[in-house]
Amino acid sequence: MNCEDYWNDSAGPWPEADFDAHLAACPSCAARYAAGRPVVAGLRLLAAGMKHVSAPPRVEAHLVRAYRERYSRRMPPQGEARRWWAAAAAVLLAAGALWIGARAPRPAQVAAAKAPVAAAAGVEEEDAAFIPLPNAAGSPQDDDVDLVRVQLPRSAITALGIPASDDGDAESVEAEVLVGPDGMARAVRFLN
Amino acid sequence: MKPPESDHQLFERLRAGREQAFVALYHKRQPALYRFALQMSGSAAVAEDITQEVFLALLRDECGYDPSRGTLVAYLFGIARKLLLRQYERRRSDVPVDTGAEEPGFAEPVDASDPLADLTARERVEALRRAVSSLPRRYREVVVLCDLEEVDYADAAAVLGCPIGTVRSRLHRARLMLAGKLRDERLGGASVPAWKAARCAI
Repeated sequence: MNCEDYWNDSAGPWPEADFDAHLAACPSCAARYAAGRPVVAGLRLLAAGMKHVSAPPRVEAHLVRAYRERYSRRMPPQGEARRWWAAAAAVLLAAGALWIGARAPRPAQVAAAKAPVAAAAGVEEEDAAFIPLPNAAGSPQDDDVDLVRVQLPRSAITALGIPASDDGDAESVEAEVLVGPDGMARAVRFLN
Repeated sequence: MKPPESDHQLFERLRAGREQAFVALYHKRQPALYRFALQMSGSAAVAEDITQEVFLALLRDECGYDPSRGTLVAYLFGIARKLLLRQYERRRSDVPVDTGAEEPGFAEPVDASDPLADLTARERVEALRRAVSSLPRRYREVVVLCDLEEVDYADAAAVLGCPIGTVRSRLHRARLMLAGKLRDERLGGASVPAWKAARCAI
């Protein structure tokens, strides 16, 4: 690398080391380089004085509006998506419960199984009224769960090994379902 | 404590519909982009438009960001630069722009004394601000990127579409030009033309 290469801004792709080597070997270029140094300190002052400068808030407001428009067309807002997931989970829950009904373990077995499943499902022990669902085992533990109220057929209660009055299987009961951020139902609590 | 999310993580999440990630990325990168556009255009209105356009580009289906080709910082500044170039073409900016024919040379012999030595801090900043805005565009952009916004050489090279060595040469030349301009201002004279470097095609 020669002096012209060093300062020529259309020079080829010289490696960084060549620049340093040339500066070390060429007093003339080293002197030129040194002449630019005081400017760097001044530029730092200038940069520090401009740190507070940023776009006015209306730019962010406009962008957030644009973002919402853009993504509301592609997917429902997060809360709405969760509600759809919860509704779907409730339907699956009811269907699953009916299926499990045929192979339901005795109540004693259910009680023994509850503790580990509850831990795996991220359900706190003090939420004793919630029944962890078998499909929640292995789900990540997090606090970001939604509570969704749904109507379930009474048969879903008995299928989960919970005694229910024989008012008729067609009658629905109200339940609360804990839905994780992945849309999977984690636990259920029957309200009546 | 959770480490702050990287630009790429924020990008992935904003593309998945997480508004918070979009806002976080905006807050993280907007000030430097706005200042870059402001320094390059000399117009707050233009800087505002460009900042907005840069982030709107992120929302497009084919936004063109490819992490294997460079960082998100380089991508964002690259868009801002393209938009600025379009602005120049459209309306010839109201700050002095590079006309090509009047590229400054170096004053020789080099006076290595500090051209800002007898100025107060405020005067230094003002003198430098004027000097930076009077640099030809290709030198101004490298000073603004590397010296004012602390974009590293690799990202600056990606933004400008040239080798890292070119960024370095251009930056050193720009600093010399600034030193010359400040010296001229102090002495009230014009710089002595010296040898010229070949023009960069970029």
